[in-house]
Amino acid sequence: MSSQFSAQKTRKPGERLFCFLLVLGSVYIFWQAYNISGFSELSSPGAFPLAASAVMILASCITFLNTLKSPAVEGMRFKDHCLPPIVAIVMTLILVYSVILESLGFILSSFAFLFVTIQFLYRRSILYTLSISLLALIVVYIIFRLVFQVVLPEGIVPEREILSSIKSLWR
Amino acid sequence: MDAFTYFAMSWLSPELLGLTALGTFLGIYVGAIPGLSVTMAVSILISFTFSWDVNYALCLMVGVYMGGVYGGSRTAILLNIPGAPSAIATALDGYPLAKKGLAGEAIGLSTVMSVVGGFVGIIVLALAAPTVSEFAITFQPRDYMMLGILGIMLVGSLSGNSLARGIFAGALGLLIGTVGLDPMTADERFTFGVIELWDGINPVAVMIGMFGISEALHQLHHMNKAVVKQKIARIIPKWSDIKKYMPLSLQTSFIGVIVGALPGTGGDIAALMAYDHAKRTTKNPKVPFGQGAKEGLIAPEAANNAAVGGAYIPMLTLGIPGDAVTAVFIGALFIHGLNPGPLLLLEQPHMFWFTVGNLTLANIFVLIFGLTGIKLFSKIVECPKGILIPLIFLLSIVGAYAINNAIIDIWWMLAFGVFGYFMRLYGFPVGPVILGVILSSLTDENWRRAILTERGSVSDLFINTLQSPLSATLFSIIVLILVSQTPLWTKWLKPKLFRR
Repeated sequence: MSSQFSAQKTRKPGERLFCFLLVLGSVYIFWQAYNISGFSELSSPGAFPLAASAVMILASCITFLNTLKSPAVEGMRFKDHCLPPIVAIVMTLILVYSVILESLGFILSSFAFLFVTIQFLYRRSILYTLSISLLALIVVYIIFRLVFQVVLPEGIVPEREILSSIKSLWR
Repeated sequence: MDAFTYFAMSWLSPELLGLTALGTFLGIYVGAIPGLSVTMAVSILISFTFSWDVNYALCLMVGVYMGGVYGGSRTAILLNIPGAPSAIATALDGYPLAKKGLAGEAIGLSTVMSVVGGFVGIIVLALAAPTVSEFAITFQPRDYMMLGILGIMLVGSLSGNSLARGIFAGALGLLIGTVGLDPMTADERFTFGVIELWDGINPVAVMIGMFGISEALHQLHHMNKAVVKQKIARIIPKWSDIKKYMPLSLQTSFIGVIVGALPGTGGDIAALMAYDHAKRTTKNPKVPFGQGAKEGLIAPEAANNAAVGGAYIPMLTLGIPGDAVTAVFIGALFIHGLNPGPLLLLEQPHMFWFTVGNLTLANIFVLIFGLTGIKLFSKIVECPKGILIPLIFLLSIVGAYAINNAIIDIWWMLAFGVFGYFMRLYGFPVGPVILGVILSSLTDENWRRAILTERGSVSDLFINTLQSPLSATLFSIIVLILVSQTPLWTKWLKPKLFRR
């Protein structure tokens, strides 16, 4: 096994920039660690973060230097192989879902998220996607909200009132 | 007598029994479906079960762990896609067996041998853990500090091709673990004046992001992989086969326990080592290895399940994770107010025997669920990724929110999810980040205690480390591992020493 400090033989698009950003990030964290208690004592609250961030600087520098030496993978492009449109779009959908989760509530936002994402990734008829999304949401809701009693954001849906009126029907 | 009562607790309570069965059943599917990992499932489960009674939560999670390690073999055999890293070696001979129309027999045999391995692991855990724990009470702060370093280093070196990347990931995890008010002095560390950061970054949000979101984002790269369907006939293995392969199964189970017990190694390494052992020791296999040798199927399956029991030894006795899943488990135990380590067995022996009993029960459920419902199973694992992946995202986001009912945890999870995606993309292992987070306070606090004990003198700490046999051994192991990963060893010393 070629278990060396870096055994990456080739470099993916964007890898050099990522490793450089890690070096910069590590240096910034080292500076922040220094600000905790400086180089005062080995038992100070900042000693351990200083040591860990120093290790990060060293490791990220080695990784970055290795990416400088290794050749780029032929025929690989950042927008096709590293951050293809499908990943970027799904990341955006997750972000939007997280933003609307609290204001719209779990039921509406999750249904919208499931419907749009499944339709985008699976590409079947709208009716099929609607029923799959609804079924998945019902299962998740029953398991987590009703069985596990997990508190989920209500948003604009008066969920508690609906639940209590359903319960009163049973009584 | 007390030990037996606690051992049988999950067997006698219908709720605990049901949760263990449910966990094992879910675990088999989670382990089997490529793209879902046991670590991911356990991380998500923590957020949903943290308000439960600890026994209930543990039953579900232990079941998922035990079932998940086994479940990976199913898709390895049926589709040649290992559902989990621990099933990589299983696919080498399992899939060729399936191609010969022996998928059912291969699944049956792998189930029985997985259960045998599971039992060996549990027996060793029950016998060895109390002794290791008694020994661990004599540990000094410097020993704990070195154990922490050892745990991070081993995973750093084993989970990727590059040690530098592994070390970076481990150090990053250690730093994430220090965010918030220092528990010893209440000094602010990396809080940037934000009061919400005083309590630190929730490790569960980091776990879900790193394992759930980043892994699911990666699965988007492989949306178009076609699923191969297999014919399934006889499932219950022949008695003659069980008898014939039992010695090999026991041998590889012991390999599994030992490898699983080493901090930083898990079922995947155990399975590969067991496969290698089977290949070297089987003189005349009926079918060559790689073309459907049953020995090549049995060895990794017995070993990876035995590694579960092994991984519990350092986790319960030293508070050191054996692999990424046990790291997440340690997080779960902390959340439930338990402190895994040598004192756990002294102060709360019931938790230890409860866990042993629960593991045994989960192992029995593996046998039951393993030999039934395979035809239904083959339909479910064909669940299209276009439906599965959005569900993983949904569960991850809801899971992160459920930790504190706070949107901030979702942001942390997403940030670590996206960062974890790029880390994976560029060959950085994400497992050490979680280990770093879990081991951060252990390493930090014990380093400071150790240096305070020596009145700030590093030379005294070094001398005392070398004078104590235990500390000297731990120190030597750390140095050896570090040297074995450097070019000094791989390029220069190794070729000289092992020249044929």
